[in-house]
Amino acid sequence: MIGSIILVLALACSTMAMVMYYLNFRGYKNTLNYGRISYHSMAMLVIVASTFLWYALLTHQYEYKYVFSYSNNSLTTGFLLASFWGGQEGSFMLWLLITSIIGIFLQSYTSKRDDLEPRVMTVFTLATTFLLLMVSPWFKNPFEFIWATPVFIDLKSINPDHLGLPFLKSFLFTDPNGGNSFIQANTELKNLLAGSGISFNQFIVDGRGLNPQLLNFWMQIHPPILFTGFGMTTVPFAFALAALMKNEYRDWIRQAFPWLLAGTGILGLGIMLGGYWAYEMLGWGGYWAWDPVENSSLIPWIVGLAGIHTLLVQRKSQNKGGIGKFAKTNLILCIFTYILVLYSTFLTRSGVLGDASVHSFVDPGMTVYLFLILFIGTFLLLGLGSIAYRWKSLTDEATGEESLLSRELALFTASVVLIASAIIVLVGTSAPLFGQSVDTFFYNEMQLPIAIIIGFLNGLSLLIKWKHTDKKDIIRKSIPSVTTAFVFTIALVLFGGVHDIILILLAFSMAFALIVNAEIAIKIIKGNRKMLGAYVAHIGIAVFILGVIGSSAYSRQVDVDLIKNETTTAFGYDMTFTGWTPIDNNTKYSFNIDVKKGDSEFKVKPVMYFSDFNNSLMRIPAILTLPTQDFYVSPVGYDEGTSNSNKNSKSISLKKGESTEFNGAQITFTSFNLGAETMAAMQEGRDFQMGAVFKLEKNGNEKDFELFRKSVGGKVEFTSFASEELDINIGLVSLSAGNIEITLSKLSDKSDDPSNHTKQEILSVSASVKPFISFVWIGIVVMVFGFFISMTRRLQESMKK
Amino acid sequence: MKNKYVFGGFIIVIFLGLMAYLFTQSNIQYQDDFVQVMGTSKTVKATGSWVKEKKYQIDNVNKTFTFFLVDDKGNEMKVVYDGTIPNNFESAVSVVVTGKYIDGYFHARDILTKCPSKYENQQVQTSTM
Repeated sequence: MIGSIILVLALACSTMAMVMYYLNFRGYKNTLNYGRISYHSMAMLVIVASTFLWYALLTHQYEYKYVFSYSNNSLTTGFLLASFWGGQEGSFMLWLLITSIIGIFLQSYTSKRDDLEPRVMTVFTLATTFLLLMVSPWFKNPFEFIWATPVFIDLKSINPDHLGLPFLKSFLFTDPNGGNSFIQANTELKNLLAGSGISFNQFIVDGRGLNPQLLNFWMQIHPPILFTGFGMTTVPFAFALAALMKNEYRDWIRQAFPWLLAGTGILGLGIMLGGYWAYEMLGWGGYWAWDPVENSSLIPWIVGLAGIHTLLVQRKSQNKGGIGKFAKTNLILCIFTYILVLYSTFLTRSGVLGDASVHSFVDPGMTVYLFLILFIGTFLLLGLGSIAYRWKSLTDEATGEESLLSRELALFTASVVLIASAIIVLVGTSAPLFGQSVDTFFYNEMQLPIAIIIGFLNGLSLLIKWKHTDKKDIIRKSIPSVTTAFVFTIALVLFGGVHDIILILLAFSMAFALIVNAEIAIKIIKGNRKMLGAYVAHIGIAVFILGVIGSSAYSRQVDVDLIKNETTTAFGYDMTFTGWTPIDNNTKYSFNIDVKKGDSEFKVKPVMYFSDFNNSLMRIPAILTLPTQDFYVSPVGYDEGTSNSNKNSKSISLKKGESTEFNGAQITFTSFNLGAETMAAMQEGRDFQMGAVFKLEKNGNEKDFELFRKSVGGKVEFTSFASEELDINIGLVSLSAGNIEITLSKLSDKSDDPSNHTKQEILSVSASVKPFISFVWIGIVVMVFGFFISMTRRLQESMKK
Repeated sequence: MKNKYVFGGFIIVIFLGLMAYLFTQSNIQYQDDFVQVMGTSKTVKATGSWVKEKKYQIDNVNKTFTFFLVDDKGNEMKVVYDGTIPNNFESAVSVVVTGKYIDGYFHARDILTKCPSKYENQQVQTSTM
């Protein structure tokens, strides 16, 4: 209750701040302070609500549906804190929390710069109002109580002391497939429990837990960073609209510039951390799959990059006076960066991509779907509407004509190419909305030529001067870098085995970009280091793309079976599987492999375990990072070598009354055997057994027997029946409403071949080498570093006139 | 100003053309009717649910994973995937396989398992025994 109330109060404050700031913009002088107070109250309330959610998670208050659904008692403190964003409600909450905190800095920043504050904060508080509506009790509220919508709770999660309560019987349900029993939580149950003096926090003693794939260090930091990037895209949007409100397009460029740089840098880092998580956790060996969820955050990032380039041109061309070049382009790009963040949220949270993504966010319901459409619609209309409204005055103020060989045009072309790249990803990612889908080669084939152009443009634009450059001058200046890049590429073809013409071109263009940037960076490093940002970022991008070429085009993979204590060689690595050790309190198994490469010896330990959360076998790869490449070992399966000896067994499922034939005998499933006692035991959570009665018939001889499904101390066991005389073994595999499954085998099969008894443990792995994958990570880190150098420089400039 | 439009326009036209061409080349349709899946030689994304009664098989020698899918109308189809069983397969409520139907079975090159339990509540069919 408290959490919901705080959020509703915050919503009121946010709306209040918006109204007060807007009134101040319209000329009511005395409302500015009310706007500030309301905004800070809102931000404080959001921080308090978030702290409260963290507190509820840390203290296991399972009466909250969110806490029950995404955490449990066994999570460590770090993961309990991370389960804050384990589900949809919490990730909206995280987005809101970060946006609110950004707003505190934004308020202070804008209050120091002219009359910016009321306009920027009006737009910004509109965004926080929408986010607050999202987490309000009407939509995706993380503080919803567990009984508000009926939730099924596994008997394991319920306090055994209370299982004897007589009224529980009418809330008990059984899943016909798995045979598990559940208690349905609803208001009626809550009232009955309250009547017995039991609260839901006492009734439920454990939660469902976090998806095991999220139990990774990177998952603790990737979402906060990504959402910081998302939240920061709100700021350039607010500045663009503020400019449109005032109908003044000069100053907002330098004021918004540091925010756009920081936001894009952080968003890029967040996206890549997600890629690193996929690489380290998912075991398919890559970091980018053109998955809709990945793509949808990539699109605003690329548009943001395009914006940086044209903002730079406008800023530079303002030196001549006037608003500068590309004023409309910049407004549109800053607006679309945020719209595309909202679109990304829509794609991943509305359930529209249900069939297309591994991140299967289930349909959140029609109201949330419509609300998300309203959210995007409002901001899209507001943005494009304002531009349309101001179109005439924008066109009047447009200036400039530049020569073909000017840096302005090179930067603009870079922007156009980046936008083309974003459109490709957008088209491919949106295709599922229309029942279409594209193969990943669509992205790869389209992005490769773009990357080549980017490389050449990147290098060339730095050799070209602002305004106009002499052709001879460029040729003279580019000779050293072109020659070096050429030599590098020839070496790559001769010694690196690169033969694909597109990749050769890409390597050449990136080497060219890298060298030109490095050359300039080295010159600058002795002078004014603040100017380094762009060069550092571009070096990062070039290194990143070279890493992408190496790790994806030249990655090789092979599936191998490792027999225990025997050495198998793949790609020059000698692998010896030496056995497994249980880790994490016997819940997981680490498979030890000794790896030898030349004279160096390493140990890698891929992990496999069975997860109760999603009832599946989880596999975690092991990565051996060497200077020039990664050796990636992903577990596939493990065979103890005992059970597979019996190849003539047969498994079959039977309904009541059906029969099957095996080894000349007729087996009929006649009835279930469930006593009243069984039912009572089930409901009270005691040990119980359910029986299935069979008739076995051969040559006129009949025999009845019974197989049991026993539930002992929460564990399920099945019995089997063997007949020496008929040479048959019948084992029960599953038993649920109306349906059972049995395995049939000959007893004689087991003892025919003594060699079957020598255990031969086999670990199947998929091994691969990823050349220069470290360049991918290094490139991104260098790029982000460059963004921040630029940001500090532009932050200082933002104060100047 | 003229240069800008000539340059930009040129790039846009080329890329839109290339994109439209590649889009048609790489387009994969969703298909939840297995009769249609079996009738076409194109690559499709077939959506269905796993037939639990027919157990899946993991062939460690040929590295294949074989199972049966059923569509909403009850048509069953054998699926062979070159690889191993994906995580979450057993608990998937629906399975999306990408590939082609040739010679009596579906050759999948990609399997996507959809598990409601991942981010949302596990729905349990209500029936008392």
